[in-house]
Amino acid sequence: MSAETLVVILLFALPFLSAAVIGIWFRLQGNIAAAISVASCGVVALLGLWLVFFGERSVAPAPVEWLTFGTYTVNMGYYFNDLAALLLFIVVVVGLLVHIFSLEYMRKDEGKARYFAGLSLFMFSMIGIVFADNLIMIFIFWELVGLSSFLLINHYFHKPSAVAASKKAFIVNRVGDFGFLIGIIWAYWHFGTVELSVLADMVGQDSDILVTGIGLLLFCSALGKSGQIPLHVWLPDAMEGPTPVSALIHAATMVAAGIYLLCRIYFLIPPEALVVVLWVGVITALFGSLCAITQKDIKKILAYSTISQLGYMVAAFGLGALAVKNGVPVMQAGVAAAMFHLFTHAFFKALLFLGSGSIIHACHHEQNIYRMGGLRTKMPVTFVTFTIAYLALIGLPFITAGFFSKEAILYLAFANNKLAFLVLLFSALLTAFYMTRLWLTVFFGAPKSEAAEESKENGLLITVPLGILAFFSIIAGWEFLHPQAFSGILDGIPHPSGWTYLLMVALGSGAMAIGVAAAYVYFGVGSRQDRLEREHPGVYAFLSAKFFFDQVYNWYVKTIQERLALLLHFIDQIFISGLIIRGSAGVLGLCSTGLRNLQTGNLQHYLYWIFFGVVVFWILGRTVFS
Amino acid sequence: MDDLQYFKDAAASNEWSLIWPEISVGLLALSLLVVEMLVPKMKNRLVPMIAMIGLSVITVTLVLSWVGMGVSYGESFAGLLFQSGFGESMRLFFLLGGLFICFLGYVTLQGRAIPRVEFFHIVLVVTAALMLLAQSNHFVMIFITLETVTIGFYILVSYFRNQPISLEAGLKYLILGGLSTGLLLFGIALLYGAAGNPQLAGATAEGLNLQALRAFLLNHGDHTLAVAGMLLVLFGIAFKVAVFPFQIWVPDVYQGAPTAVTAFLGVCSKAAGFALMIILVTRTFNVETMTSITVPLLSLMAIFSLLYGNLTALTQQNTKRLMGLSGISHAGFLLAGVVAAVHVDWAVWAVVFYLFSYMFSSFAVFGVMAFVEGKNPGEGEELIDYTGLYQRSPFLGTVLGIGLGSLAGIPPLVGFIGKALVFIALFQAGLYVLLLVGALSVAISIFYYFGWMRTAFFGDGPDTEKDYPAIEVPLPKRVPLAIIAGITVFLGFIQVPLAAVLGL
Repeated sequence: MSAETLVVILLFALPFLSAAVIGIWFRLQGNIAAAISVASCGVVALLGLWLVFFGERSVAPAPVEWLTFGTYTVNMGYYFNDLAALLLFIVVVVGLLVHIFSLEYMRKDEGKARYFAGLSLFMFSMIGIVFADNLIMIFIFWELVGLSSFLLINHYFHKPSAVAASKKAFIVNRVGDFGFLIGIIWAYWHFGTVELSVLADMVGQDSDILVTGIGLLLFCSALGKSGQIPLHVWLPDAMEGPTPVSALIHAATMVAAGIYLLCRIYFLIPPEALVVVLWVGVITALFGSLCAITQKDIKKILAYSTISQLGYMVAAFGLGALAVKNGVPVMQAGVAAAMFHLFTHAFFKALLFLGSGSIIHACHHEQNIYRMGGLRTKMPVTFVTFTIAYLALIGLPFITAGFFSKEAILYLAFANNKLAFLVLLFSALLTAFYMTRLWLTVFFGAPKSEAAEESKENGLLITVPLGILAFFSIIAGWEFLHPQAFSGILDGIPHPSGWTYLLMVALGSGAMAIGVAAAYVYFGVGSRQDRLEREHPGVYAFLSAKFFFDQVYNWYVKTIQERLALLLHFIDQIFISGLIIRGSAGVLGLCSTGLRNLQTGNLQHYLYWIFFGVVVFWILGRTVFS
Repeated sequence: MDDLQYFKDAAASNEWSLIWPEISVGLLALSLLVVEMLVPKMKNRLVPMIAMIGLSVITVTLVLSWVGMGVSYGESFAGLLFQSGFGESMRLFFLLGGLFICFLGYVTLQGRAIPRVEFFHIVLVVTAALMLLAQSNHFVMIFITLETVTIGFYILVSYFRNQPISLEAGLKYLILGGLSTGLLLFGIALLYGAAGNPQLAGATAEGLNLQALRAFLLNHGDHTLAVAGMLLVLFGIAFKVAVFPFQIWVPDVYQGAPTAVTAFLGVCSKAAGFALMIILVTRTFNVETMTSITVPLLSLMAIFSLLYGNLTALTQQNTKRLMGLSGISHAGFLLAGVVAAVHVDWAVWAVVFYLFSYMFSSFAVFGVMAFVEGKNPGEGEELIDYTGLYQRSPFLGTVLGIGLGSLAGIPPLVGFIGKALVFIALFQAGLYVLLLVGALSVAISIFYYFGWMRTAFFGDGPDTEKDYPAIEVPLPKRVPLAIIAGITVFLGFIQVPLAAVLGL
């Protein structure tokens, strides 16, 4: 067994054991649970970093036979390439920082052990997605991250809203995963295998075998997990979970897994499907940033911002084009741009969430931005780091990570599809607009509530992770610093040249500047009220209704699905349960009572019975059957 | 001179070393009597301990001897015995069965004013006879071992001689068993007579030897006397395995017998019958002229047994009767497997696997029954006595759940695999009607097995007002039950160890 294989096994085993040990023995001892979970995550982070920077890239070196269906065997193996290394890096770094942050954030929580068990389970599941070498294995871990997400959103299960949110997340993801599952089955039926490396070879030899339907169905997975329209509705509600969870799962890693999956199976997505992917991403990017404008809950703003940024990544993937070079399928530029943005976004969005967590923690769980204010002086470290993340998100030119990755996507759109480019550019403007609104309201002016008045900076367990993430939020975009380990992916980032470069920078920073200026002028510094709500209630109401997705879904469930269910229930009660089940049970019961009466307990009767049996079966044997 | 030569040859073929396990078990049985004599007043666990440890040592040695020397194959003792993989696996079966029955007897007899050494002595003698039975190759051997077993059971069934119900059961078993022995013996006589008829070509004086008999039947399988003999022999064995229409004695005898004996009767006696069925139906009477009779006739018996056993069990409230009636349906399954084995060779192993799975699952249930029942006749035997068993003793509740689930054939327990193998065999043999009835009866059986489980786990019995005491099971007594339940679960996931033993 090679060192890499051993490390991969440990990466799977440690978080799993941590979750199991906590779940079985330490459900009530929060501190021990936290220690176990953080320690396992620390070791996982060290091993993961070793694997990322020194581990050999390998394709399924030692798959374990798991299940055999007829002629096909499902293997459990791993497939480690630069793409996987990139996500692994994000998962272990952000994961460890969130674990540390949680130590302070969840210090007094009653369900601390449950929480840390959930985090460990999530780490296990997410690492499974990173390494999985076939679609069925991906699907299993896909469901496991869904489960851990469900458990963690549901952490405050005494709150009805948290329960509803977790249920919603689970059900909405089911819809996407159902498509994913059909896609996997269809892929197996069509290609005869679900092993990623084998599939890549097959496509490399003959790219005509691709089927648009399979590509679209596999894209359904990202639709649900990465909160793309129309399955985005669960992500804002998922903010009911603890804030570190929002940072880890619902900003940096799990929601990005949809994009990772697309990049992992890029060779299965034919050009026709890519068009759909592109426009879903573009519309989601615009939609998310529009919705974010009217939100007042700091985490909801960030959630819609996440939806919007995930839209950028999906759009970037859709802008790529599948080509075959020397028998190897190559996805040009799209994968690189999407993964680059995923990489930078993971850091600054996790930082934004952890920053908001720091604020919420200090303000005694106040989440309304109009009840904060003036936190710049009260929480200086949080302010500085949050500002860095804010600048990265809106794309401050030449410094922040977000600028470079967003430029890459914008350039890709500019080169391939001008309409998509314009929409994405406008979304960038909106991003600057709503983020500046948040930033100015939360950190400047006077405190607008008692909680904000009393708030003070948190301890090192919170500020150190913020600082580390702020560091990455800047340098993650500097391409000359990108390590060799990720070169397989990040070398493909598209770069404009000549006047196009100048044009791109000008347009990108222009949109950002306009957005910031507009927000500054319109909302003002440290405002107490939403000016849009006051002066243009119509526009505000329209945007805050979030385009009526929830209403339409509710209407569908209430009027169509529920009525159908009632009808089926009626049929079930009368026919299935009434006639068939109870009817047959009654008949069998009667038979039973009748036969029981044969057991008289009288020895003579028994002797006659046996004698009679001998005679009857004798006659049968001698006449009928012979 | 010929006679002398014959006896000389016979004596030369007496390879005593081949039956060392049976001899050891017999000596162990004798040694128990000696121990009891030497330490007569001892009220401790010495006797059952010696029996259990002795059986364990013999079992382990037997398995090790396979690993070390392999399995011997061929006739010995002048054709009285026939060593084969089948015989070896049944030896293991009966050793394990005897071992667990000793444990159950230890639990059942505890705290009763009843002599105990005789119980273990008879169980060991019966076990040795059962092991020989599975290897027999000669009607004399079959009859002697079978009678040793049956007479042992006459005593065991009425072992609680101070309880009228036990005596009644013993008497019923004696009279009905006598009838069946008569049928069997009459059948053997007819077969011997037919094979020895000098007017027929190929007549043999060795008509009691199964190989010689088969050679004769190849030519005269449709001979009236031979067919009549075969039918009577099968009827006699059908009584032992309790298939329809020879099942009528089961509920009364099972209910009256001490629980340990009920388990012994339900598992080991039944298995002995099926070992004989396999030897006779698939290796002796498997000539075309006879299979045309045996296959439909036994199929019919199997179908009736499946339906009868499950239907009567549906409304049964007494757990011992319930196990007996459900045992009839399991016998139906096993008989179906035997029928399939006439055409599909490997189905023999499906039957043996089913026997093993049935043994482990039933012992789990019987083991729990031994702890739940009271000291008075009929006490703690009704279904309502299991109300909330899981709450009263989580351990017993879990073991019962595993045992019942396995008997019902719920995956991933071993009972499911056993049923699946029989179903596959039936499918390959083309016995679709049996397959259909089997599937139907599994569905019916789930009803009463799960009813029992529901009572034990959720406790919504008819009489929930009554206060049921908690049941304490001391740790040493938990171990055998836990092992049995563990095997039931383990073999459901991984069949390799048992399959390796069985040659599947």
